[in-house]
Amino acid sequence: MGHITLSNVTKQFGAVEVIPPLDLHIEDGEFVVFVGPSGCGKTTLLRLIAGLEDVTSGSVAIDGTDITGVAAAQRGLAMVFQSYALYPHMPVRDNIGFPLRMAGLDKAEIARKVEAVAETLNLTGHLDARPGQMSGGQRQRVAIGRAIVREPKAFLFDEPLSNLDAALRVNMRLEISELHQRLKTTAIYVTHDQVEAMTMATKIVVLRSGIIEQVGSPMELYNQPRNLFVAGFIGSPKMNFVTGETAAQHGAATIGVRPEHIALSKDAGDWKGRVGIVEHLGSDTFLHVTVPGAGPLTVRVAGEMAVRFGDTVFLTPDANKIHRFDAADNAMSRRP
Amino acid sequence: MKPDAKPALFGRIPILGRFGLWIWRNPLIAPALLVVIVVTQAPFILTVIYSLFRWNLQRPENTAFNGFGNYLDIFRDSRFLDSVVTSLSFTVAAVLLSLLVGLVYALLVHDRFFGRGIVRTLLITPFLIMPIIGALAWKYTVLSPIFGILNWIVRQFGGTPIDWIGMYPVASVVAVLVWRWAPFMMIIILAGLQALNDDQREAARMDGAGPWAETRFIVLPHLKKYLQLSGLLGSIFIVNEFDVIFMLTQGGPGTATTNVPFLIYQSVFYSFDIGHAAAMAVVIVLGTIVVVTYLLKLLGSLMGDLD
Repeated sequence: MGHITLSNVTKQFGAVEVIPPLDLHIEDGEFVVFVGPSGCGKTTLLRLIAGLEDVTSGSVAIDGTDITGVAAAQRGLAMVFQSYALYPHMPVRDNIGFPLRMAGLDKAEIARKVEAVAETLNLTGHLDARPGQMSGGQRQRVAIGRAIVREPKAFLFDEPLSNLDAALRVNMRLEISELHQRLKTTAIYVTHDQVEAMTMATKIVVLRSGIIEQVGSPMELYNQPRNLFVAGFIGSPKMNFVTGETAAQHGAATIGVRPEHIALSKDAGDWKGRVGIVEHLGSDTFLHVTVPGAGPLTVRVAGEMAVRFGDTVFLTPDANKIHRFDAADNAMSRRP
Repeated sequence: MKPDAKPALFGRIPILGRFGLWIWRNPLIAPALLVVIVVTQAPFILTVIYSLFRWNLQRPENTAFNGFGNYLDIFRDSRFLDSVVTSLSFTVAAVLLSLLVGLVYALLVHDRFFGRGIVRTLLITPFLIMPIIGALAWKYTVLSPIFGILNWIVRQFGGTPIDWIGMYPVASVVAVLVWRWAPFMMIIILAGLQALNDDQREAARMDGAGPWAETRFIVLPHLKKYLQLSGLLGSIFIVNEFDVIFMLTQGGPGTATTNVPFLIYQSVFYSFDIGHAAAMAVVIVLGTIVVVTYLLKLLGSLMGDLD
């Protein structure tokens, strides 16, 4: 069990309002990702749920019980920190066993549970090592082990992968997703990396300046962004926005087309442009094309593409995949 | 080391080994080093030499080489042995209590609260006051049987005034020493606390640790090295404490608060016995090294249990 409800929650640091009134409901077993640019309040929101910060007003409830005034230690949540926050003077065994020791379990029980967790996380050989002797990935596993060992109501992850190198990050991303599949425990995960959000979440909460811009499944956010901000934030490379005359032809203040929804031809098409930088990724090629009247556009082409700097190309956006936004940056219905 | 890296002109001085090499490489440090050696080591060597002579300023004609006679004398002298015990008890009691009080101060003023800067400054003040002035203030405004604040409090509760210094001389001296040295411990421990990653404390809180468990399992083990350092420095200073005893008790009543430095002072300025005083001074230097080493080990093992 672990459904979490925030009602009318606000947070102020001095005179600065970081979180304006906010409501959010998280179902039991969901993997929710808070995503947004730096300073959008996602970590603050997580810390409010954790109990590491006090809400200025409003209430937080877990499983229907109001826990707004309850200390972090009593909330029954587990957290994985960006810095891992392992206890450097304890061996891995004691680090993982610490929450159980605090819960007053007897030594044999603690030893049994620690062994079991170590086995699932491939840490069995490292139980007597100190955190200082381990690599970043191993430390992150210990931090996760410490979180899962006491079977919390929910896991809170605060940018847990941002200190790892790119290859390890992809690995750990898979491991965390697998873990969630197996344990089915509610998880809240904070990241600024929209790829992590898209790949791991069952539900994404996009935040800007403490305000929830949109809540939905990854594909909902990708296919039906509610406004310009979400449209630009979700998807990589980011969506192309075109204003002015071209947008007006579609009856909108701004139109958005994702790089993968633009067809490229050397002979004919809707927009004529000149190729700038070409990025070859092997599986894909990203072309940065300058189109007079529409501005610089990014185009994603599958596989290799034999174009060079300065070549003239023609672009045709997929008419069914054009997003339209009004002057207030809100999404309009698609053209039938 | 490659052969061609040898100094070209003089080469190595084989007898001096590594030191010979070092002295060629660091000729610019040598003058300063010489000054330091002369200023710090020469007095000690002179003291060692004095300690080997029978030398009383009242009978200079009797001055003669005495071998280890002075040392034998002082180890047969119960006043000296008592003063060693007094020194040890002052040091152990004052260092441990100062560490405890300093730790409590540091934990209290670590977290942010309104007026923290002022409170920190006030707590540090006793360490900034001249020792002799501090002791004077304690003698007349706190511990005095007639004017003292303590006895004023005692009278408010209907008690009879107590001659604190006369009846509890050791406790009085220790109280002043703790008052003076706890802020010093606090500064070092506070620096240690600020070096502690907040994430670790928050992680402990998330893991279900209350304030006591957080301090016991996370904060104290982290502070181990800082406590050792402040215990070490405190021991060195408190073993040599003189001002407070001079001002508060003059070593009395009787010899109840006569520690080794005070006894040395008495033998030089009352008995004019340079030889015996020098022997005691040598013993206290060696003794300090032993005490400090022992205290470090004791603290280390105490803190080892915390891990």
